Amino acid sequence: MAPILKVDRVTMHFAGLAAVREVSFELEPGRIYGLIGPNGAGKTTLLSIIAGSLRPTSGSILFEGRALGKGRAFEAVHAGIARTHQIPRPFRALSVMANVEVGASFGRKAKSKTQEGNDASRILQWVGLSHLAQTSAANLSVGDQKRLELARTLAARPNLLLCDEICSGLTASETAAVLRLLREIQQAGTTILYVEHDLKVIMSLCDHVIVMNHGSKLVEGPPQAVQNDPAVIEAYIGKNGDQVSEA
Amino acid sequence: MAQAAPPGMNEVGSAHESSRGKLFARSLPFVSVVLLVLLPLLHPGPEIIRLLFITLVWITASVAWNLIGGFGGQVSFGFAVFYGLGAYTTALALNHGISSWIAFPLGGFVASLASLLVGLPTFRLRGPYFAIATIGASEAVRVIMTNVSLTGGASGYRIMETGAFHQLEHFYSALALAAVVVAASILVERSKLGLALVAIREDEDAASDLGVNPYRAKLMAHSLAAALTGAAGGVYARYAAFIHPQGVFAFSISVAILLMPIIGGVGTIWGPVIGAVVYGLIHEELVASFPQLHLLLYGSLLILIVFFEPRGIMGLLGRWFNAMQRRRRLSGSHS
Amino acid sequence: MNAVDLLNLTIAALLLAGVYAAMSVGMTIIYGVMKIVNLAHAGFLMLGAYFVYQLNSSFGIDPLLGVVLAFPVFFLVGMAIHWLLIRRLPTSDQPTLVSLMLLFGLWLVLQNLGYLIWGNADRAILTRWTFWVWRIGPLSIPGVRLVVFGAAVTSVAALEFMLHRTWFGRAVRALMQDRDAGRIVGINVDQTARVVFGVGIAFAGAAGGLLAMLYSFSPDFGGAFLLRAFVIIVLGGLESFAGVAIGALILALVETFSILILPASYQPAVAFSLLVVALVVLPEGVAGLWHRRHRPA
Repeated sequence: MAPILKVDRVTMHFAGLAAVREVSFELEPGRIYGLIGPNGAGKTTLLSIIAGSLRPTSGSILFEGRALGKGRAFEAVHAGIARTHQIPRPFRALSVMANVEVGASFGRKAKSKTQEGNDASRILQWVGLSHLAQTSAANLSVGDQKRLELARTLAARPNLLLCDEICSGLTASETAAVLRLLREIQQAGTTILYVEHDLKVIMSLCDHVIVMNHGSKLVEGPPQAVQNDPAVIEAYIGKNGDQVSEA
Repeated sequence: MAQAAPPGMNEVGSAHESSRGKLFARSLPFVSVVLLVLLPLLHPGPEIIRLLFITLVWITASVAWNLIGGFGGQVSFGFAVFYGLGAYTTALALNHGISSWIAFPLGGFVASLASLLVGLPTFRLRGPYFAIATIGASEAVRVIMTNVSLTGGASGYRIMETGAFHQLEHFYSALALAAVVVAASILVERSKLGLALVAIREDEDAASDLGVNPYRAKLMAHSLAAALTGAAGGVYARYAAFIHPQGVFAFSISVAILLMPIIGGVGTIWGPVIGAVVYGLIHEELVASFPQLHLLLYGSLLILIVFFEPRGIMGLLGRWFNAMQRRRRLSGSHS
Repeated sequence: MNAVDLLNLTIAALLLAGVYAAMSVGMTIIYGVMKIVNLAHAGFLMLGAYFVYQLNSSFGIDPLLGVVLAFPVFFLVGMAIHWLLIRRLPTSDQPTLVSLMLLFGLWLVLQNLGYLIWGNADRAILTRWTFWVWRIGPLSIPGVRLVVFGAAVTSVAALEFMLHRTWFGRAVRALMQDRDAGRIVGINVDQTARVVFGVGIAFAGAAGGLLAMLYSFSPDFGGAFLLRAFVIIVLGGLESFAGVAIGALILALVETFSILILPASYQPAVAFSLLVVALVVLPEGVAGLWHRRHRPA
């Protein structure tokens, strides 16, 4: 099966600092991938590049066979890629419903206008925010903001969903709920690339894991293999003894 | 003003809970229009008609500016360009025998083209930078128009129209245009474009991450706003019968056009209307009574608005209604 | 046009660039640290011009000395304005519309003050060098421009020195890079911002005085220079004063040579056209001003 996403030797320099170095990997459609690494590994930068909001210094991104990466996020969205933000960025002047409508109205082309409207209500129900549909997005709790972030992004009908640490700051039950949602999204046919630095979440969710460190790809493989890889363990424990996550 | 969120897409009108209040608010615009249409029957006199005429022209420019500046958050300091270009285009057209039905839209069309010339390079800049660039655009056009002799240069341009001067004809033109602009504003606010503009205003990058093309949305809103402002300039030009660059392209016109929505409530539908009414009615008085101080007053007003009520008069009204509701609820619970 | 004229024009452009650089530095430093686009910069340029003028006409104080005096006076004024108005603005890592409105309002107020105190007649400052022309061989250089250039370069150099050799300067540069990180490291952001604003206004006032020695002025003369300062920032960037110097040089050269083809009254159009060209030709343009590159969290 042709890969839905092909990242080929992508490099990103910011004023002389290499945030991403020659990273390459492929994603098969319909699976859940984890992208992990200690803080500062370049995960969010790579995500931004795939999502189209950053133009890589070199390298290429092929999505469904087409080249992307011109630094215009909305084009990537129309092609079928959408991302959530690590820190939620709701449109505070709009209601929850209107926020989702932005995704529904401007995302990947829907079959019809009525489908756009249905999508928004349906998605709100799915993530459990229907009761807050008319509430201003400025008045939401952190957990609800994260759910809104996910709902909004889903409304754009992506074939490839990029999630950036969507569970950080959530309680255990909220996290479980989000993970359940993600699995349902995958079952509906969407490919997911999930950035996390909490290993526990990744291990329970992902079919395949890519590990980054200092901007480069360290290893990739099934969760069990990656978890026991000595290089990965060292990257997380590090020389300073910070970041110890339980396997 | 991205800091204080103006009422969102679904919240316009939801400030009043009581159905009586809602009915009042909804019908007020229609009643006002009907009153204005019938007003001449009362023979209020040419001075009043002139004042209303000016106010209606201001309403048009104010509501138009708000499309891009209020909904979209792209503050332009250079709308005098469109006002002036509309004025000159209409004037030229009228002098060549073209009827005003065509001359006004023509003025709007030329202004719209100019807005693309201004917007294409400058919308790459974020909000406040766009603002400064528009100052430059305005000055550049003013300077050019002052030097171009085809339209009389600095000495101005006169419109020679055949037929008598019918003040009411101008009054109704301005009223019709103002009604069109407010209708356009309501339509935009409910449309996809309106949604895109608010999203862009709140967070342009996040909007882009959801598929909104910020560049295109801004250009569209800017173009519409420019066209309507240009038409306003045309309507004014026909009335005044004489225009000159220091008048229609003046920086003070740009300032007025942006001040009105801010006073009334930037980003709302009726805020710019209220602001234009306030400005239109007091500006002349102000300049007459305190000729040396009006910049000081407007500047201080801006500063006060920023600190105390960035949402302008609509914000004050909102606060007042909320306070009334709270009081009603409290007194209700005591019975 | 012969080589001598060409050389004269080039020198004139160079001298102008120096003044333009001094004029933009104030706006640059305020933007860099506080992410505020100081629209009132124009107002302070104007006040600086009148300050130097008034000292000259009432007390016979030499304009150059007036410029030197402008630094401390406007520094205090800047700090006061920051304390009164600016510090209450919500902070962000991007310029906000609220700050724009506030500073625009301030500019209107300052303009009106100018009109109230000095009326709207054009003024000019005559100095002992106003008519002095320095002749080296075939070249003739207006002396006043040379003097102004010298003062401008000296003050910008002093600012550079302060930024790179003092503790305060290091704090400022740190804040320019990352405000929150600066706070964490222990820099008192509020106080530093106040001093920075003061310095920015000080340069605005002094630059206004320098400009007053070259041009006639009235209370609304800030606007054209505001646009020029902005064009310089767009051209040259916010990262360093070398950028400001380059931007100033480009603008000065284009303006000076454009007089050969266009009448002088078209100057504002020249600055704006340069802005448009820069925006179109340099789409990868200046970091921070453009379609902002998404900075990862």
